[in-house]
Amino acid sequence: MSKKAQDQKSKISSAIQNKSAQEELIGFALIVILVAIIGLIFLGFSLRNPQKEIVESYEVESFIQAFLQYTTDCGNYREAYLGIQKLISECVDNGICLDGRNSCDVLNSTLTEMIEESWKIDGDRPIQGYKLEIALENGTEVIPLIAKGNSTKNSRGVSQPFTPLGESYEVYFTVYY
Amino acid sequence: MKRAQLKIQQMVFMLLAVTLFFVLVGMLVLALRFSGLKESATELEEKNAMLLVTRIANSPEFSCGNAFGKSRTNCIDADKIMMLKKNIDKYDNFWGRETNMEIRKIYPEGNLVCTIGNYPNCNLINLQSEEIHIEHSNFISLCRKDLINGEVYDKCELAKIMVSYKDWSETNE
Repeated sequence: MSKKAQDQKSKISSAIQNKSAQEELIGFALIVILVAIIGLIFLGFSLRNPQKEIVESYEVESFIQAFLQYTTDCGNYREAYLGIQKLISECVDNGICLDGRNSCDVLNSTLTEMIEESWKIDGDRPIQGYKLEIALENGTEVIPLIAKGNSTKNSRGVSQPFTPLGESYEVYFTVYY
Repeated sequence: MKRAQLKIQQMVFMLLAVTLFFVLVGMLVLALRFSGLKESATELEEKNAMLLVTRIANSPEFSCGNAFGKSRTNCIDADKIMMLKKNIDKYDNFWGRETNMEIRKIYPEGNLVCTIGNYPNCNLINLQSEEIHIEHSNFISLCRKDLINGEVYDKCELAKIMVSYKDWSETNE
């Protein structure tokens, strides 16, 4: 073999070795990047603490169910004291309580006081506002909308349908925080 | 040294480095996990309290059942609770370690603690008679049988059930 041919062979061999080293370096760098990404994802998951919601949906749901069972101080000739559900029916029928008060007024004032006590929005409290709507199946409002505070972007709302005496009603309650 | 030997040596170093790396990462993870063990225990207690508060009103020890006409959800029988309070020592750790429960009337509101002597003219039933610190709460309807002009009727009031749980970070256990 001539010297020229030998030089050429060694040049080719050196070039192949350089290329192989470069490929290994790229491979190593890729592995490091991959491990770093996996590590970051793992760290992100482990450091992320699930935060407690200010208002949980079960609280709003339970509130509706609980206040619908409340026994008011308004009665009729059938029952000494009516529950909220029956008082809603009484209000739709323009009924009068045994003590002469208007059933709708009693319903409105009882619900207003009840919500004010349950969802306080004064001072530094996280609750910003609320809204309660009671409507018949056809959309007619039973009592005027009970609302207080601000309507913010964050809210929890629940609707509860019920049929106390044949007619269907829907209660909508939303809490803003 | 031959080229093959060099390659083997390179691979051995690489394997050693990778193993060492994973051992170190594992040790770091273990150290982090064990350092937050008490927080994790408190978190679990909190989760248990939250699950408890959403379901406890419908459990046999608390629920109204059919005592007030039809079956009601989120309804607690106040008379049952007073009897449960009397026999609470039989329910030691039944709802979780150091779990305490309190039922507070929201409407009408008040701060009078219930005893057998003043019941039902009171506002707060504390099952374990201990102060509640950290808690989860839920709305319930607190019902009982009441008398008016010699006639019995169902009286339901709006209340909140509060479940407190053990905070492990405050203990030396």
